[in-house]
Parts: sequence; structure tokens; C-alpha cells
Amino acid sequence: MNNINERLLQYRTRRQLFRDCGVGVGKVALASMLASSASAQKTHFPSRIDRVIYLFMAGGPSQLDLFEYKPELIKRDSQPTPDSYLKGKRFAFMDTFSKDTPKLLGSRRKFARHGKSGLWFSDLLPEMGSVADEWTVLHGVCTENFNHGPAKLFTNTGSVRPGRPSMGSWITYGIGSESKDLPGFVVLQSGPRGPRSGAALWSSGFLPTSQQGVPFRSVGDPILDLSNPHGVDETEQRQTLDVIRDLNRMTQQTTGDAEISTRIDAYEMAYRMQTSGPELIDFAQEDKKTLEMYGAEPGKASYANNCLLARRLVERGVRFVQLYHTDWDHHQDLTKPLEEVTREVDRPTAALLRDLKQRGLLDRTLVIWGGEFGRTPMGEVREKGQVGRNHHIDAYSILMAGGGLQGGSVHGASDEFGFSPAEKKIEVFDVQATVLHMLGLDHTKLTYKFQGRDFRLTDVGGHVLHPLVG
Amino acid sequence: MPAPVFIRWSLLRFSAGFIAFVVSAQDAGVQFYEQSVQKVLRTNCVACHSDKNSSSGLSLQNRESILKGGNRGSSFDAQDLSSSVLLNAVRHHGDLKMPPGRKLKDEEIAVLEKWVSMGVPMPANLASAKTSSSTYWAFQPPRKADLPLVQKKDWIRNPIDSFILARLEKEKLSPSAGADLRTQLRRVHLDLTGLPPTAEETAAFLNDQSPDAYEKVVDRLLASPHYGERWARHWLDIARYADTDGYTIDAPRDIWKYRDWVIQALNRDMPYDQFVIEQLAGDLLPNPTTDQLIATGFHRNTPSNYEGGIDFEQYRVEAVADRVETTGQAFLGLTVGCARCHDHKFDPISQKEFYQLFAFFNNIDEVDKEADRKLFNKPFLVLGTDEEKSTFDVWEKQVYKIEEDIRKREDMVSGDGESDAQLKELREKLNEHRRNRPPLIRTMIMKELPQQRESYIHLGGDFTRKGIPVTPGVLSVLPALQTSSAPNRLDFAKWLVDGKNPLTARVTVNRMWQHFFGQGIVATENDFGTQGEKATHPELLDWLAVEFVEKGWSQKKLHKLIVTSATYRQASDARLDAAAADPGNHLLARQNRLRLDAEILRDSSLTVSGLLSRKTGGASVYPPIPAGANNVTQVKREWALSKGEDRYRRGLYTFFQRSAGHPALLVFDAPEGTVSCTRRVRSNTPLQALISLNDESSFEFAEVLGQKIMSGQESDADRLRLGWRLALSRDPDEKEMDRMMRFIATRRDSGSEEKRIWTSISRVLLNMDEFLTRP
Repeated sequence: MNNINERLLQYRTRRQLFRDCGVGVGKVALASMLASSASAQKTHFPSRIDRVIYLFMAGGPSQLDLFEYKPELIKRDSQPTPDSYLKGKRFAFMDTFSKDTPKLLGSRRKFARHGKSGLWFSDLLPEMGSVADEWTVLHGVCTENFNHGPAKLFTNTGSVRPGRPSMGSWITYGIGSESKDLPGFVVLQSGPRGPRSGAALWSSGFLPTSQQGVPFRSVGDPILDLSNPHGVDETEQRQTLDVIRDLNRMTQQTTGDAEISTRIDAYEMAYRMQTSGPELIDFAQEDKKTLEMYGAEPGKASYANNCLLARRLVERGVRFVQLYHTDWDHHQDLTKPLEEVTREVDRPTAALLRDLKQRGLLDRTLVIWGGEFGRTPMGEVREKGQVGRNHHIDAYSILMAGGGLQGGSVHGASDEFGFSPAEKKIEVFDVQATVLHMLGLDHTKLTYKFQGRDFRLTDVGGHVLHPLVG
Repeated sequence: MPAPVFIRWSLLRFSAGFIAFVVSAQDAGVQFYEQSVQKVLRTNCVACHSDKNSSSGLSLQNRESILKGGNRGSSFDAQDLSSSVLLNAVRHHGDLKMPPGRKLKDEEIAVLEKWVSMGVPMPANLASAKTSSSTYWAFQPPRKADLPLVQKKDWIRNPIDSFILARLEKEKLSPSAGADLRTQLRRVHLDLTGLPPTAEETAAFLNDQSPDAYEKVVDRLLASPHYGERWARHWLDIARYADTDGYTIDAPRDIWKYRDWVIQALNRDMPYDQFVIEQLAGDLLPNPTTDQLIATGFHRNTPSNYEGGIDFEQYRVEAVADRVETTGQAFLGLTVGCARCHDHKFDPISQKEFYQLFAFFNNIDEVDKEADRKLFNKPFLVLGTDEEKSTFDVWEKQVYKIEEDIRKREDMVSGDGESDAQLKELREKLNEHRRNRPPLIRTMIMKELPQQRESYIHLGGDFTRKGIPVTPGVLSVLPALQTSSAPNRLDFAKWLVDGKNPLTARVTVNRMWQHFFGQGIVATENDFGTQGEKATHPELLDWLAVEFVEKGWSQKKLHKLIVTSATYRQASDARLDAAAADPGNHLLARQNRLRLDAEILRDSSLTVSGLLSRKTGGASVYPPIPAGANNVTQVKREWALSKGEDRYRRGLYTFFQRSAGHPALLVFDAPEGTVSCTRRVRSNTPLQALISLNDESSFEFAEVLGQKIMSGQESDADRLRLGWRLALSRDPDEKEMDRMMRFIATRRDSGSEEKRIWTSISRVLLNMDEFLTRP
């Protein structure tokens, strides 16, 4: 009987390869059905990174007050925006925002060059400036939609409508994960509220549910239902699992259903996660110096804790960490609220780069820092005496670090005010294509057939940014 | 930036005089065409722009079709020949550059310029070569073939089996024997009602010696109110049903009345043609009933956005496009959505036809501008008395007021405001106010605008780039829509189910088959086009489709036919011989074991523990949810935990928030309710194990089941037998008994209290593969 079951298992593996799987490298990852336990899979070409940490600044950070220095805009502060810059452009809040000709708004922040490379950072980001030579700055990035929810969906899934797989899902679908006891795609959140569009941002869409991003919390149970039920101790849990396994094996003997082996494996991995999860969020093993560097405080939900968690996750082989921090939507006021959010984000971000570097992880880890769009060069006045900036989708900035990218470099540029790209524009699809490329994946070949069509993250667009990655 | 291409209306006014001019210059012109132009077009253009293949709606077949032009309007402007769309495209002036990826030689462009300047002369006898409907199988009407001859005649219970057996015999395979009776009972219970049989139902069936014992069970299940609940859930997947708006704000909406309508329609066995008509166009029926209006919620289930700063028209257009795509998948089994941005690459669906379908759904009285923000999600059907309505209005105004206060306060304080007393108070006030919502239901429905909205082709799928105007129309590859006047949604709905449409019945019976066997006769259930999988049993598919229509589109009759077939009633155990020849079991030499759907897992646990509320219908409920699981999105929503029996309702009644669906549903592959889902994947993951082992609800079910087992019997062996009967409809075998006795002994040795031991055993039962699987 055992022999028969083994042979049935072989047929089943074949069946999955031939039938359930689409094209490209994904089929190997799928055959395992446990995205997270699948070991590293074959790529299209040699990869230059193994892991991605995406620091998503939800709400749209004001690039013009952070790291895109525009002396001409500062010079012409308060002047009406020349018509030629507004013609043919659409903005959010069209009805209220653009009734009168909006005025240019020069940044009130102090800008300075940092590091050997001399990258510009404002006084809001001293720590990120102190690691200037690690950053690669992309200016003149464009996206397609000026509303938060859809624009976030677009950056994460390549579509403004909910329902498509997110980048992390595509990647774990394509090449699996190195972690044996943690999910391959983990989502972390901090800030006053969750990101708009919620779970649709880390959805596996039409890909198998096993590729879904798994939200981790930095306090309490890191994963939902990770703890034993109330009053069930370690021994009871293990003994219960042993019985389930033994009875399931008996069922497999009679039915010959290979899916039962997968189920037994899934239960075993769940059990391992029950140990690895708490261990993961237990910062007791971190020395004081590290905690201070991040500004992390054990047991507190914060961006700083999540940055440290991100490092601990990639250290354990997790493929894709998507971290959201809200809220950067500064329509009204670019003073106190912006100062507060940058204070939360500046130091842990820099610490993450330093920490990854000192542990030798930065070379094979790509860190991305950016939002769903940026903010306009003209000011927006919602309350008298205060000025903010509206959503801007035609030229904003993204920072990257690690992965062997040339630190301290700038790619792309916007015009003198920051309205439009001055050089070739960089599109969101280009950024996505480049991330996949660095992981050894050809974005045109990482496809999944659904509703009669081969879908991909980059839809029908995307060009790898070769100046960036060589 | 090139100016957008606008429709050249002038052409229409000018054409009569223009043609007269052409006739006089005809001879020289035609000669020039034949000697020079034809070659350029044939070499470079006609492959994509002929009557057979008119990409972007443009055919260069004859003068008439060129004058008509494609999606961007006429190929050239008779009044201003220099600004011709065709010439600009080949000159690469503007955004349209033809041919794709290369440019014509200068002398070729010169030929076309001269030809256009002559007024596009062409011979008059180039007749249209429009092909009649394709010969592709799915576009031919289904017909019943004679039942195939088979050898193993005694295996056959009904015509389905003839088709299945004939194919197996062709492959030299034999079918499996019937599954044991308790397996058959569990299977048919789970498939028809989504609930496992109770111990009493199992005993009654096993004791019934009459030859039609099984048929009696089937009839009982088809008549059960739970049948409609089970099959409604399949339909709600297609209808992308959810209780919230989706996107950014994701506020609750009233739409559960639509769910009730589906349940009731299925329980009453409403003929499928009527089922379709009422959902697509119930509002356009003469003197529509309340129910018929509620039914039109089907296409109002689309996500809708009203975050600050949006262009409402953009999201209205998204919703209309979703209706077209969903209609394509659900009824036609065609990937119509592929034609939203360009002509379908593989199937005969042009971009223009996509927008002709779009035009049917484009005329709903929905919000399309900022000024109507407060009317968001209209049109509604308001169900209540005048007094209730006015109470509701007052209440709603108060909601807006508190929301506004919260927004203002949020802008004033920094951070999450958790520490701000005033904000906290306001939020609590809002929650309190929401809890006191007056009992008025505003269910979302379809309602036509008095004045038709104009429909256009959206160039590249972009709603800001208008192409030529279009009027409602169906796919030309399918039978024509016969109406005297301009067709509307109702005409379209009737056309879908008029029996001549070759796809609707096939697609529907295929999807039913998929639910009973785990995969369709056509495995790509939403793609019957040329890129889809071939039918494994094309004659069976056609036979079922015709039978379905002949029997008055009765879903219950078709379900009965399927579940009483020998094919359905086979054992599902794997067989080495069959696995070698047919590893995917496409030929059905056995049944398939299928992991239960998310909702059915919940329902099963509720049933065996005895907690299940059998109340049918009503508003969505809030069973326990892991802390924080619904707060992953912008607006923190209260999860007002249901009390009493509402805590134990079936899974399909769980409130579904699009941006944060209940984890016990999502982790077990329930769809997110954002786009139409015609087939769920069945994954098998550690997160599922965590839920069914550790979740508060799972543990509660186990505790209650444990108590039931304990109080029902005295001895360990008897208790184990009871547990097995309740959860698995059978007795434990010897090996299982031994293993459990060892477990009990070990737990007693560890000093575990009795009650706890039986909870543990119940956890084991509720996590067994056999429990999680339709056998």
C-alpha cells in the first residue's frame, strides 16, 4: 500500500506541473503549494539580490521638501504657476484645488549636500542624509492615478483596480522563498491608520492564495491565531498535532490522496511558525546598541520596530517584506505634521541600511523607500494661514539602496519646478520591471494565465532601468 | 502633446457631395490605386485592417469601410485632407504610429498622401468580405448527439454515464464502483446544501432499504432551504458580492437584500433564463415587482470609490467596464475584458464591440460628478414607511455631521489621535450613532437615466480619450439581437437566454459540473474562446446544455440529474491504473476529493457541534474575528460582535468587508469580492492550519462538540464512536480506536481534566483531512 501511495504521489506531482501551472518559472514554486517552504527556485538569469524590503510611505511624501532640491522654485515662491505647466494636467480635488491659478510653493526647509556623493537632503532627514552614499535616488517618476487607494494599488499590483496580485506575490510565485518556517511575503504596518485599499494591496489576486502577503504585527501575536488556544500548553498542542497527523496518514492510506501529504506538511509548518513567530518578534536577543540605533522599543507598535523586524525577517530568508507607514498626505500643513512623520521615519530608515550593511546583508537586499505619488510644486491652501501640497503624479521621487546599486547616484530629473520629468520619464512599471530584473526575473516572462490572457505585474509596459542596474 | 482625436462630424454632412466629386475623377484615380496604392496597403496594412481582421475597427477593404474608419473615426477628413488620421499615423505625427514598430518608406508615404489628396479613389466592385459566423465550436449551437454505445451497460444510471463511460472505454479504463453509502450521503449533502448529514440523517439513510433511498435523499435536499444558501454562495462569487464599497473608504452598503433574493430564487427553482433577466434588467420589466428591482443589485455589486479628490466619472466608468467583463465571464464564458483597450488578440471580439456592450450598462443613474457626492451609491430602492424614511434622513444627516467633525478634529491633532480626548469622544459618538441606525433598508439597484448617456470607444481603455460614439449592440460572431427599436439592457438579457445563444447554457452547465466534480468539462470555465481548454467531453457538454434548456432552465432538475448519475456516485479513492493513464482525472474514472469551501468549513463545524443557527436570510452578521484583523485599512471600522444565534449563522452571512475580509474566509480561498470569481482555487497552507487549530471560533466549536460527546455517552469507546458519527458520519476503525485510546491515556497521565480531553479529541476531529474534505 505504501508503495502505491508513493507512486500516486509521483503522478500527482506530474499532474500539478502539467495542469495547474502556468508558464515560466512559477510552476516550480507552485508544485510545492507552500510558497513559504519552497526553497529558492530557478530564476530566468542570475540574480543580484535575494530579498526586497519595500518601505512604503503611504499618503505621498513631499519630495520637494525632503530630497528634491529646487532652487528655482524657491526663488519664484508665491508666483502664479505659469499656464504652460498646468495645461493638459489633471489633479485631485480639481473642483476645490484649482479654481484660481495656484501659486508656486518653494520649500521652507534647509537643504544641504550630504556624503561624498553630495546628494541633497533637507533638514527633515538628517539621518537618511548621513547614509547618503548608500542611496540611489530616482527623480521624475510618474504614476497613473492621483487618488490614494487606486494609486497604491497601482504601485503594488500594477493595476488601479483591486483584484490583481501584488509584487510580493508575483515574486514568491516566481522564485519561492528561502524561509522554511516563515511565510515568504510578509506585510508590516505602522502609523495612525492602515493604508487605503487595505488587504487588496498585498492580495495574491488570481495567483494561489499561498502567495498572499501575511500581515505581521509587532505587538501581540505576530500572526493571527499563532498562539495556542487559551489554556492549551505546548505538550497538549504537540500531542494533538501528532494524533491529527497519524489519523491523516491513515486516511491517505485508504484514499491515496496526495493532497493529504501537503496538509500534513502545512500543519507541521504551522507548528514551527508557532515557535519561530514569537522568536522573531522577541527583541531580547538584540543588543542595546542596535535597539538604540533604530530607536526601537520592545513591545511598542512603531515604524522603528518594524524596520528592525524587517531586518530580522530578511535575515531568516523571507523574500519580500512590505512595510507601510501612514500618513504622508500633507494637503494642509507642511510644518508640524511633516516634521512629526519624518522624525518617526528618518532614524530607523538610516539604521536599517547601516544594520543590513554591517551584517553583510545589504549587498543582496534591495531597500525601496517611496509612496504612491509625490506632491505638487504649487501650494494648496485649505485653511487660511497654512499651506500644503496636493497629490502629484507626473514627477516624484523614489529612493533605493542596497542590491549592489551604485550608492550616492541620481537617475532621472524633473524640470526646474518639478512639474514634469526633464529627461526620459521613469514609470512605475519600469521600477517594477527593475526590481524583478534584480531578482533574476524577466518581467515579460513572469506570467500567469487567467481569463484567457497571460497576465504579468507590468501589464503591457515596463522597461528595466538599465542605467541603474547596468 | 498631440490634441486628442475628435470625431469628424463634418464628414457625415459632407459625404453626399463628396462622393459626386470622386465619381468624376474616377478613372485616373482607380488606376492609381491599382498600380501604386494597393501594393503599399497589402504589404503593410491589410494583415491587421481587413474585413476579416479589422484591428481597432478599421478595415481597408473598400472605399466605404475606409470612409467609415475605425475607433478613432474616419481615416481622413474630407474637408481637411492634410489632417487625415491615416496619414498622420503613417507619418508618425501624434500618438498613433503605424505600422507598429516601424515606419513606411518616404515614397510609400508619398503614394498614400497623393491617394488621399485624390479623395481615396477605389474600384467600386470591392465587395465586403465580412465572414459569416466563425466555425469555432463554441459559437455553433449545441445539439444533442445520440447516446454513445458502451460495453459495461449495467453501470449506467442515466445519459451522463453513457458519455463518461464511452470515453473511459475508449481509453481502456473502467469506472470506479459506487462509493460506500455513507460517503455518497456526505457528498450529496455537502454539495447540495453545504451541510454534512446529522447522525440521525445518516442512520435513517443507512436503514432505508428501498431502491430509491438515495433519490429520496436528493429530493429532500433539493427541497431544503439550505440548498438555496449553498448555491447562492456559488452565485455570489460570480456577483462579486461584498457588504462594503471597496477602494479607500470601504464603507458598509446595503446589499444583503440581493443575497436574500438569490437564495430565494434558487430555493424556488426560478428558471435560469428568468434568473438572468431579473438580475440584469429587472427594472426594465413592465411594472417591476420589489423583488425584481432588488435582483438588479447583481451589477451594483461593483466596488465604488468616493475618497476625496476623485473624478467620479472615472470610477463610474470602471464599474460599467466591470459589468461588461463580468457579463462576459459569467454568461458567455468569453474574456470580453481583453477588448477594453484593443481588439481581442485571439477571439472575434473587437474593441468597438466591447463598447457596444458597455453602452447597455452605461445608462444607470449613478453619481458621475463631485456635486452629487452625497448621493453616492444611488440609485437605491428604499424599503420602509414614510415615517421610517424621514427618521432615517435625520439620522443620516447626523452621521455626516459627526464625520465632518471628526475630519476637522483629525486635521487639528497630529498622530493617530488616540490620545486626544475630544477625538476619541467623537469616534465613540459615531460608533454609538451607527449602532442606533433606524431600520430602513436602502438596497442598491439599477435604474435607467431618462436621457441616454453617450457611449464612446475609450482609446487604449482610457476614459479621457474618446473615440467614435457607439450604440448598444452584441458580438457579431453570435446570433443577432432582434429588436424593432434601439435595444436596451432588457433586450440584451433576453438575448442571452433566448436559447439561440450558443454559449449561455453551455457555460452554465459547465460551471455546475465544476462544482460537482471539482473541474469543468471545459476546464477554463470563464474562457470558452480559442485560448481556453478544449472540452474533455464535448458531446456531454452539449447534451447537458440542450437538456437544461429543454427542461425549462430548471437548475434543480439538472442538479438532480448529475447527482443521481453513476459518474457522480463513484468512489473517489485514487487508482493506480487510472492515475497512470489520466493523472488529472479529467476522464472521471473516479470522483475527486475536494477541500471544502471556506464558508462550508464553518457550516460543517457549526453543524456537528450543534451550534448552527438554521435561520435563513437577513442582514449580514458579525461572528468573532481575531483582534485587529479588520483594521488593516484606512478607516477603522467597528466589528459589532453578533450576539445570540447570530453568532452561529452560516458562513455566507458573515459581513464581508472588501479591504479586510474575515481571515477565516480569505485564508481558505474565499474571493475578495472585488472582481467576478467563477472558480475558487483550493490552497492548502499553514495559515489555514493555524485558523482551524487555534482560532477562537474553532476552539469554541471543539469545546461544544466535546461536551456533546461527553454527555451523550459514558465509556471512552462509546464517546469516540459518537464523535466519529457526528463529525464523519461513520464509526472509527480499529486502528483509529487504538490511536485515540493511547491519546486519552497520555492526556490522563498528564493530568488533563476530562472535559479538556474531549475538547482535544474534538479539535482532532475538526482538523482531520476527512472532515475538511468533500469525499
